[in-house]
Amino acid sequence: MSKFRTQNPGNQPVWVNTSNCKACDICVSVCPSGVLGMVYEPTSTLGAMISVQHPEACIGCMECELACPDFAIYVAEKGEFKFAKLTDESKARQAAVIANKYRSLSEKGAR
Amino acid sequence: MAFNYENYLRLEKMPTLWCWGCGDGVILKAFVRAIDSLGINKDDVCVVSGIGCSGRFSSYVDFNTVHTTHGRTIAFATGIKLANPTKHVICVAGDGDALAIGGNHTIHGCRRNIDITFIIINNFIYGLTNSQTSPTTPQGMWTVSQQAGNIDPTFNVANLAIAAGASFVARETVNDPKKLEKTMVKALEHKGFALLEVLSNCHINLGRKNKMNSAVENLSWIDSITVSKKKYDTLAPEEQLNLLPTGILKQDTEAAEYCDMYAEVVKVHQGKRKTITQDDFKKKI
Repeated sequence: MSKFRTQNPGNQPVWVNTSNCKACDICVSVCPSGVLGMVYEPTSTLGAMISVQHPEACIGCMECELACPDFAIYVAEKGEFKFAKLTDESKARQAAVIANKYRSLSEKGAR
Repeated sequence: MAFNYENYLRLEKMPTLWCWGCGDGVILKAFVRAIDSLGINKDDVCVVSGIGCSGRFSSYVDFNTVHTTHGRTIAFATGIKLANPTKHVICVAGDGDALAIGGNHTIHGCRRNIDITFIIINNFIYGLTNSQTSPTTPQGMWTVSQQAGNIDPTFNVANLAIAAGASFVARETVNDPKKLEKTMVKALEHKGFALLEVLSNCHINLGRKNKMNSAVENLSWIDSITVSKKKYDTLAPEEQLNLLPTGILKQDTEAAEYCDMYAEVVKVHQGKRKTITQDDFKKKI
């Protein structure tokens, strides 16, 4: 596997390279459908790490990949994966993730 | 398979030394994608950078690169371009590098209209040296060198470049990487001096003391001070006061390009034509 891990690890809409991620929260803030969330990671400088929480909701808009300054997140090509449509549930989840300071909802309260 | 950035980057230098969330990384990514979409050969590109956080830019891209002295990117790039007129020469400089230390080089590069793409990464502060006032720091902001609040008026980079005679002037932000990439493609395609100002974030050194402590907060501040050119033109003058228009602000494809004119000078000395006169230029004065 290459250093950047630009290869799809196996039928995924979006995948991350945790050795490049510096936990700046930008990708989580730009996602329209609540796919991403930060999780607790004691070995990271900022104590957090990106994780893909709801891959089934990814709409393939590429916002997270383009906004990532550290080449740590990748989105599959349009023909490579059948992306979901943006739903109200996804939008509500994204609003909840932002209200939770970009933390994954599965980790509510942990900081 | 996502876009293969590995083709264009020096992987042994990765991850970048920039802080988390730094806009420089977004610009690096947009630049690599723009070069790829134009299908330019890696050996035909030369990236010149100066000193500052933006100076790291040339270390990460796998093109011909020069890391030059402070503010002298345009001086070095002019020499490179005149010696290799068929190659793409791209300068990357920060706001301090391009406007304070190298301010004179910038305006004279604009004046000559030499075919260089000049990317100014404007993060409103001297970030590398820990928050001293730069020529673009907004008035009233806290900086290390003006702790009571900055009183220095700011440069409007795009207006400066237009007045100095650059033939392509654009402004973009790191908030919209797709649009940034598109404008970068246009800037690279343009024959003549193309100045692209990219508003970037420095939440570490600008944001920390100015109530923008995280990358996302700093980016939303940049979003609040910019507006697309189309919308900007419809606003009343008093509404335009604290806003910066984004998009392509000037594009002049008619202006004489410096390398072309220099080739004519060479012809004069080879005895292939008579001296250059005012009639060789569209704009006489």
